[in-house]
Amino acid sequence: MGNYKKVIIEAGKGGWGGPLEVLPTDKKKYIYSVTGGGIHPVAQAIADATGGEPFDGFKSSKPFDEIAVAVIDCGGTARVGVYPMKKVLTVDIHATSPAGPLAMFITKDLFVSGVKPENIRPA
Amino acid sequence: MVVYSTTVTAVGELVKDFRDQGILVFFSENAPLELHEFSVLHKVEVSERAPIPGDVILINDDEFKVLAVGSVVSDNLLNLGHLDLKANGLTEAELPGDTNVEAKSLPLIQVGDKIQITKN
Repeated sequence: MGNYKKVIIEAGKGGWGGPLEVLPTDKKKYIYSVTGGGIHPVAQAIADATGGEPFDGFKSSKPFDEIAVAVIDCGGTARVGVYPMKKVLTVDIHATSPAGPLAMFITKDLFVSGVKPENIRPA
Repeated sequence: MVVYSTTVTAVGELVKDFRDQGILVFFSENAPLELHEFSVLHKVEVSERAPIPGDVILINDDEFKVLAVGSVVSDNLLNLGHLDLKANGLTEAELPGDTNVEAKSLPLIQVGDKIQITKN
């Protein structure tokens, strides 16, 4: 059983949305990295700070209701909307704003962008 | 000369809707399931570099001249096989992941189609 801690994630320079509060639970413990080259440092930083479990979305998938937060490196069109559409908290490491065919799902209570490890702090 | 070459292995249900808006989203086959719905999945054969303005993207025999390329396109394509192709004629990328080509109708993609990026 995990011992989880809450963090607050704020938008970085030029970013949009948030702040998001992330608190993993045993049923919703994955810090889901949908980025190139394995677990992204931002996902690792969130996992370290919360006690959540880092998970590489490009190795296999997890159900949305087990994802505490998704970390993406999306350039603005696709991934940026997919996780908010499913009501999954979403952190984009790039400083994107709502755009693309799924823009309507991207809201400040679900999405924050331009995030670097220093934008993550204990709640 | 071909700098990127790949073959389509699956086409998501929403790809046609995206294509009707002048957008095609590509991901490599190992992309998470939730991305499959609107993506063209593919298996890469040549992955030398990402597109730059002046290149031509070939979808089978249809040619699209590359006009603008966003700042994260290269990482996306080389790491994830991911490309957001927009046939909107823009000469400056609106979003960091955009690859903008000529504003003409994108083809209906099918399994087995060949996508190539060529340089002069």
